Amino acid sequence: MAEPLLAKPAALSAGLESPDVFRRLVYSVSDYAIFLLDPKGNVASWNPGAEKLKAYKAEEIIGKHFSVFYTPAALAIDRPNYELRVAAETGHFEDEGWRVRKDGSRFWSSIVITRVLDDGGRIIGFGQITRDLTELRESDLRYRLLIEGVADYAIFSMDSHGNITSWNTGAERIKGYKPEEIVGKHFSTFYTEEDRKAGLPEHVLRTAEQTGHFTGEGWRVRKNGSRFWASVVVTPLRDEEGNLCGFSKVTRDMSDRKALLDQLQQHAHELELRVRERDESNAELEAFAYSVSHDLRAPLRAISGFAEALHDEYRDRLDEVGRDYLNEVTSAAGRLNTLVQDLLEYGRVGRINMPLASVSVETAINGARRQLGELPPGTLSVAVPAGLQVRGYPQVLAQVIFNLLANGLKFHKPHAAPKVDISVETRNGMVRLNIRDNGIGIAPEHQERIWNVFERLHDRESYVGTGIGLAIVKRAMSRMNGSCGVDSKPGEGSTFWIELPCA
Amino acid sequence: MLSGPVLLVEDDPSDFRLIQRAFNKLPNGFEILRLTNGDDAVAYLSGDDPYENRAAHPMPSLVLLDLKLPRRSGFEVLQWLRRQPAGLCRMPVVVLTSSRHTADINRAYDLGANSYLVKPETGGQLDNLASEFRSYWLRLNEFPSFQAAL
Repeated sequence: MAEPLLAKPAALSAGLESPDVFRRLVYSVSDYAIFLLDPKGNVASWNPGAEKLKAYKAEEIIGKHFSVFYTPAALAIDRPNYELRVAAETGHFEDEGWRVRKDGSRFWSSIVITRVLDDGGRIIGFGQITRDLTELRESDLRYRLLIEGVADYAIFSMDSHGNITSWNTGAERIKGYKPEEIVGKHFSTFYTEEDRKAGLPEHVLRTAEQTGHFTGEGWRVRKNGSRFWASVVVTPLRDEEGNLCGFSKVTRDMSDRKALLDQLQQHAHELELRVRERDESNAELEAFAYSVSHDLRAPLRAISGFAEALHDEYRDRLDEVGRDYLNEVTSAAGRLNTLVQDLLEYGRVGRINMPLASVSVETAINGARRQLGELPPGTLSVAVPAGLQVRGYPQVLAQVIFNLLANGLKFHKPHAAPKVDISVETRNGMVRLNIRDNGIGIAPEHQERIWNVFERLHDRESYVGTGIGLAIVKRAMSRMNGSCGVDSKPGEGSTFWIELPCA
Repeated sequence: MLSGPVLLVEDDPSDFRLIQRAFNKLPNGFEILRLTNGDDAVAYLSGDDPYENRAAHPMPSLVLLDLKLPRRSGFEVLQWLRRQPAGLCRMPVVVLTSSRHTADINRAYDLGANSYLVKPETGGQLDNLASEFRSYWLRLNEFPSFQAAL
């Protein structure tokens, strides 16, 4: 019965209806060894695929028992006959394993043995299909070795219920279990009791199955009960038909990073608390300053008001000393009033809380000039291009320029008329206003502290002032995202500058 | 023309005396009634006890209102006044306070103030304010009726 398959197909034969079409098919397959065995296991036919794979020619192998393809180890346990028995009883046998070529070399093969029955149901032989999987097995093996060797990541596989089926070096290192201790156990062993109670392991598998993966971070438990912060990725494993056959899980010990993150978060929290405390105490201080300055004004109005009433109605009845005293009262009240107003202004500038706007520099300078009142001709010269715009608050900028102009005019040399000029420089998107005077100048050692509140370099008799003007300038410039400074030499005048972004 | 007195709600006695003195210096001055807290102002304007007698306690033509007052603040008086039935709610209110705070100014106008003045720092400025106030409110301004039907 093997005879027809032995010979090459007849040269002249027509169409797929031809009775030897299957012989032709088998003969044309070269990637699979396809051959027949008689009921005892002797080779009865041989195709080119078989010749290519096992290196026997048809005439060398036909009639020989198929056990020649097996390794000594397989022969020792009578493996060939076992396989035929299974195929005879169940219809077919499938396996993967080592097989031997004619030259004794081995190859890893996938085999299927199928029993062949006649019309009466009697076994007339077996068909065998063998495929060389050596390359596939080697890449699979390399991959497995690679995974097993990874020490920084725990990589293991689970069946579809979450029972562990493989375990790599990294898993052993991170979790503390040897493969024989953990394979077969459920992966929920690694979860904390709270997480287990909350159903987290089930949630992880469900999410992975439904969405294609699960990633997360959380506490996991080592064999010795200690905890570590894990970053995990779980991926479902599916067969070719898409049926779930298990999961892979990659876990990384992130405890060090977690500790750092926690520390960072703690610092951030503390900082936030401190800022909030400072903001609160600043706000309280502002409110206090506002309230004090405000409440100071009522008695102040009374002092100056009644001093003026006294002056208006009783001036004639006071002698010169009395009138002098009254002048002192009025002048002190005036100074106190200026001080309170400056303090209120200083506080107000600090509290400004509105969006910055486009401000015309020219308009701001004109506002400051109006506040200064009439000046002798030639006192103030302004060289500012028309239409120049900066980002700021219109009234605040006018106040800043006024303060600087007033200073420049005030601190003139004893016997020289004051002269102030304003010029502009524009660079890198910033506008700088220079306010230069011909006054007494400022010694280098004082150039820092003139910006502090209540800082005065001169006694009241020489130059009147509250020592708040420049503090207001500094605060206002900072509120408008600008800056300010001074260049000066004693005796050579000062140049105060302010800088704001172009609008 | 003013048909009634000016009601000045001012708790600070010194401020009151100085304001009164400034107005008194003007020729053809007007009558100023003084109350010292917000509750009294509300009672007076509603004609409640002890101000039921309108002959003794005439309805003012205008209220000069300080903001920082004991009990009910100037803001609260203003808010109450603007919610009164037609008539009384039209009462012109000029805020006279020491606050230049933008938030205070805005709130006063939001609540329906007709004008907002800041107490001057010196007697000279106060005299000036009194004089300008008189010419505006006495000579230029037209007053509404405080009777609901009209």
